[in-house]
Amino acid sequence: MLSLMVVLPFLSALFMAVLYLSMPRLKNQNIYTIIGVGTPAITVLLSLITLFSLMQGESTIYNTLFEWISIGDFNISVAFMADRLSAVMVSFITVIGTLIHIYAAGYMRGDAGYGKFFSYFNLFMGSMLLLVLADNPIMMFVGWELVGLSSYLLIGFYHHDSANITAANKAFILNRVGDFGFIIAIALLFVGLGAGGFTFDAIAANITTLSTEMLSLIGILLFVGAMGKSAQIPLYVWLPDAMAGPTPVSALIHAATMVTAGVYMVARYSFLYVEIPDVGLFIAYVGAASALFAAIIASFQSDIKKILAYSTMSQLGYMFIAVGLGAYSSGIFHVFTHAFFKALLFMGAGAVIIALHHEQNIFKMGALKKSLPLVYVTMFIATLAISGIPPFAGFFSKDAILVSAFSSEHYLIWAMATVTALLTAYYMFRMLFSVFHADVAEEHHLQKLPQSMTAPLVFLAFGSATVGFLGVNEAYGGSAWFNTFLALPDTPLHLSHTAEYLLTALNVALGLSGMVLAYRGFAKVAKPTEANTFVKTLVLNKFYVDEFYTLVIVKPLLVLSRLITNVIDPKLVDGFIGALVEGYRAIAREFTWLQNGKVRYYALQILVGVSVMSTFMLFKLGVL
Amino acid sequence: MLELSLFSILALFMLGGSVAMIINKQPLFSAFGFLVSMLGLAGMFALLDSQFLALAQIMVSVGAIVVVSMLTILTVNAKEKNLPDEPYKYRWIIFSALLVSPLTLLMYKSMTLLHEQFNGIDVVDTKAMGSLLFSQWVLPFEIVSVLLLSAMVGAIVIARKKRTKVQER
Amino acid sequence: MKPELFFMLASLLFSIGIVGVVSRRNLFVVYMSIELMLSAISLLLVTFSKVLGTADGAVIALLMIGVIAAEAALFLAIIIHLYRRSRSVDSDAYQGLRQEANDA
Repeated sequence: MLSLMVVLPFLSALFMAVLYLSMPRLKNQNIYTIIGVGTPAITVLLSLITLFSLMQGESTIYNTLFEWISIGDFNISVAFMADRLSAVMVSFITVIGTLIHIYAAGYMRGDAGYGKFFSYFNLFMGSMLLLVLADNPIMMFVGWELVGLSSYLLIGFYHHDSANITAANKAFILNRVGDFGFIIAIALLFVGLGAGGFTFDAIAANITTLSTEMLSLIGILLFVGAMGKSAQIPLYVWLPDAMAGPTPVSALIHAATMVTAGVYMVARYSFLYVEIPDVGLFIAYVGAASALFAAIIASFQSDIKKILAYSTMSQLGYMFIAVGLGAYSSGIFHVFTHAFFKALLFMGAGAVIIALHHEQNIFKMGALKKSLPLVYVTMFIATLAISGIPPFAGFFSKDAILVSAFSSEHYLIWAMATVTALLTAYYMFRMLFSVFHADVAEEHHLQKLPQSMTAPLVFLAFGSATVGFLGVNEAYGGSAWFNTFLALPDTPLHLSHTAEYLLTALNVALGLSGMVLAYRGFAKVAKPTEANTFVKTLVLNKFYVDEFYTLVIVKPLLVLSRLITNVIDPKLVDGFIGALVEGYRAIAREFTWLQNGKVRYYALQILVGVSVMSTFMLFKLGVL
Repeated sequence: MLELSLFSILALFMLGGSVAMIINKQPLFSAFGFLVSMLGLAGMFALLDSQFLALAQIMVSVGAIVVVSMLTILTVNAKEKNLPDEPYKYRWIIFSALLVSPLTLLMYKSMTLLHEQFNGIDVVDTKAMGSLLFSQWVLPFEIVSVLLLSAMVGAIVIARKKRTKVQER
Repeated sequence: MKPELFFMLASLLFSIGIVGVVSRRNLFVVYMSIELMLSAISLLLVTFSKVLGTADGAVIALLMIGVIAAEAALFLAIIIHLYRRSRSVDSDAYQGLRQEANDA
């Protein structure tokens, strides 16, 4: 059954791809809708069955498809494992994924590449499921790479505009840079532990046999991969550019699922990271820095999707704070709740963009409260969730993270996270108010939205409002069901209930203040911030990080490639081969006189041969 | 003694004629040298007691071949300036003479190592030749006649002018 | 009079013939040098005939004269034909089998 869950999306992607290639101008696109949305729907069923069977108390489910490589110690099977962590991940990935597929059916309707889109989208689903359900690091890496590929294909979907292709390349290349570390980490793991079988269970059992230095190295290198995949500093610059893809892509890949693969990976390797708390601390610092950094930039952005992109990066920072400090369940819980409200936010943003005929600047929107009521209400719920206002989902997960941060006694991290919480509320409500509340000069002429786009919003709003209750802490009388179900090696909290209550109150207060600040700034008149001070210029230009990378890394590489293409390749390599060929030709040319067509010369050659033989025979006769 | 002096004279004719033949620029003078050489050869045949062969040599080689060669040379009638220009003639001759000297030496030495002697029996006379020719060697004799016929036909075919179609005005 | 003298003479004539074939460009001289080579061999045959006491060698020499005549006819016919084609009796004028030093 697990194999089915992974293989079905791949098969449907293949089928749709073949169909699209063979009949590119198919009139009736419904076949793509049926297969493209139906397959994820089937995976929802399968994943829920898996989850429920695990909830009934069954132990981890295994399923092997076939043996792939078997060379000495290196035995890799295409095998799947559904333990509690995977089951939870798979459940929300498939549910939210299916909702976004339905949304995409409406969003992409009429596009010439409709079939191609769903082929890629299903490819992504299959890859993500493969990543999460893999039972050994190699299969997880295969899934890791495939989601990167799907991301590249989908970002560059509108390929006629070369800027989109550049953005897709950027995403893929930065991903690859991260994967470099990831691969080395896997190789080190194999060298150290491969002899006992290379599945996660086997590695987990033997992990303590490696030295702490080796474990730290592996841990850091794995995180380098996560930096690329989950857009943390310094490999984050691809995420804002990735917004060039269609909005369903942003919703599914760059908000709810792919970018969370890094967090999942750390949780999956929790047996490793519990041994190396220092590396975990480093991860937490990177997460905190990314969170704060992204929040600052987001506060000044005008493009609605870019605001959400930076917001994703910021929330991912939160997740890494959690898993870095050992609160694995809280991190995964935040992944879970974040998927709901971030997908909702993106889908709502997509709805607004479509309604306003592809306008993406929030300062050109406004007063949409009355005209798009459904979108308004659902996005309002999502914004409340992300700002950590109870009783919505984000409150519970974010609060858990902040409490863990405080309890770990790394107060700098806690401070950064708390400031970020304030900023999060501020910029999210800034966006909401600018889009829906602010006054506009003239009425917008709206495009009607299909129901396939608005219905999923309702589901997700419901989810954002309620799923928080799955992980209520004990302090509030909840059973922390989510955490106990996951059974990850969490660090226990060292806080009294009083301290917890105080912290929670602080968080809520900050969230509300952020909302009020945004209201005062943007609810009536929404104007973009002008770059009139140095600080403002710096932030509006995203701290010039892209420019820095271009200068320091991209340009030297380009110079080097040009050098090789124009100088080294033609002169050295081609020249060497050419010299060989030319030299041979020159020698051959010298011998052409042997065949100049004159009979006299041929007779002479015969004579030379005869002469040589005669001399030889004279020697033999003893005459000479 | 007589024979030796005759031999010397005839050998001189032959060698002189052949050297003249290969050195001369004008083909007609080469032909004259060739003629002299062939006559010398006829004399040699006579010295070796094959009288019939000597006469046949004069009739065919001199009377037919040399004549036909001269006929062709005169028919072609190349002017002095149309003759091939051979700037390095003597160098070529000396070079090839050097190359061919081992062969000459080999030929001479391999035959003298046989230590043969002339026996004095005068068996190579016409009668002996005739009886052999029509008994043992009759097949090659017939084949040579066919060969001569085909050579005649072939020469005509090769040397004739191409027939060109003449347009009737 | 010993056979060695005849052998020497025949070898010399043969060599002169070879030299003529290789060195000269004029087709007539080439032709006549070939004849000379054949004649030298005839001489050799007759010498051996006298040495061995049978007439076989002489008979072969006789038949060779016939062959020589046939070959002479054909050779001269070819010279005529070639002269008609390219107005020259230079053996270096015919280079159809030449290998060009091409750079393709």
